[in-house]
Amino acid sequence: MKQVSRFEYPEELQPVFKKAKKLEWITVGYLITTSIVVFLTMGNSQAMKTAWFEDILSLTPSISFLIASRVFHKKPNKNFPYGYHRVVSIAYLCSALALFSVGGFLIYDSVHTLLKQEHPTIGIKVIFGHEIWLGYLMIAAMLYSTIPAMILGRMKLPLAKQLHEKNLYTDADMNKADWMTGAAAIPGIIGIGMGWWWADSVAALLISLDIIKDGYTNLKQAVFDLMDQIPKTVDDQETDPLLNQIEHKLKGQSWIKEHAFRMREEGHIYSGEAFLVPHDQNGQLTQQIEKLLQEVRDLDWRIQEFTIMPVRKLPQNGAEEN
Amino acid sequence: MHSSGYFIFYLFCVLLLATSCQDFPKDPEKTLEQVSNGTLKVGYSENPPWVVKGPDGPTGIEADLVKAFAKSINAQVEWQNDSEQNLLEDLEKNELHLVIAGLTDDSPWKSKISFTRPFVEVEKKKHVMAVIMGENAFTVKLESFLNQQKSVIQNRVQP
Repeated sequence: MKQVSRFEYPEELQPVFKKAKKLEWITVGYLITTSIVVFLTMGNSQAMKTAWFEDILSLTPSISFLIASRVFHKKPNKNFPYGYHRVVSIAYLCSALALFSVGGFLIYDSVHTLLKQEHPTIGIKVIFGHEIWLGYLMIAAMLYSTIPAMILGRMKLPLAKQLHEKNLYTDADMNKADWMTGAAAIPGIIGIGMGWWWADSVAALLISLDIIKDGYTNLKQAVFDLMDQIPKTVDDQETDPLLNQIEHKLKGQSWIKEHAFRMREEGHIYSGEAFLVPHDQNGQLTQQIEKLLQEVRDLDWRIQEFTIMPVRKLPQNGAEEN
Repeated sequence: MHSSGYFIFYLFCVLLLATSCQDFPKDPEKTLEQVSNGTLKVGYSENPPWVVKGPDGPTGIEADLVKAFAKSINAQVEWQNDSEQNLLEDLEKNELHLVIAGLTDDSPWKSKISFTRPFVEVEKKKHVMAVIMGENAFTVKLESFLNQQKSVIQNRVQP
């Protein structure tokens, strides 16, 4: 049985991938410490309980990235002839679902608090004999869960684009969700101190709309990727311009009369097939196809598997009509 | 980067706002303002040795603490005796300011009223008083008072 070739990132991307893995390890460690800090300051405040639950959920993208990164470059074998690339798409689905749930959970919680008019109670905590309003401790905890998340998220975005890692991109969105909820919780807690019991929930509600939008976009894309939608770019979910380059390449071949091709995304990589009707048989067809294959593969490292099929007539419904 | 600049500016404003207030935190329903130099409405339900019913109002560890607290904010105590359930329902409707009944922090009432932080732990039970939800100035005042009375309370619960 023919197995697809083993995938590794091209040489120039190896250090980028290493850096991404390191960032994700840092993220996991950091999120565990924030969840401990938030847990210690939460008292009986519902808002802080939500923040804590969210911290736990926001571990999903980084953990799923780390798991997937141990699996996806495994050598294809008899049982998995197409390799393990799809694991990246599955990890992406998990991350997107987690992000969407964080948004949904926040909306539910803040609307619930507002409708029931639950006034949050924040009392004092005694630390080493000193009485301190728990609100100040919560603000300190929120600052800790804000600034590093902001930096980590910023660092991940360029790596995600270079590596074509949608999961990493979602994790950067998750970091954004973390720091935005933290940044919204601070005036929320101060608002409670001012006697505005609704302040925290209104702040959380505004932020949750943004999170749920990011979550929805990614969730949709993750499902579409698994349904073999044509490849989309990592950052803005537009059809990848690489497809135009392939089209251009096929069009530029003088020996091809008609052609059609289709592509799909499997984690980091693209695979697809082209059907073409050659002008006339001159005995050179096999060499021409092999040469063309090489040229298409050389366009980008993401084109991992590309098959070219010479036909007498283009298949009617099989391929994308260009 | 531009947005980081905005963020630092925003943090600065928020912290400035937080530190510029004298009476912080405040009550949404102004409970502390009303009871100081006024009337503190306290519900009690018998639960010795915390609350003991007597001919001249309640006595016991919690009742004495409430009396001392009322004195510290120059308030007259208006006692109301009823079952724990009725009292907590009245507290939920803001008809009482405070309920004492030898409550512990594992009571299932938490979501409609608030408990103070535990003021003493006896036999692994953390003892609390019940207050109106979200009246943070009043809660902080009471919790701070109870914290200052810590050694007095410890002495009384010792057998």
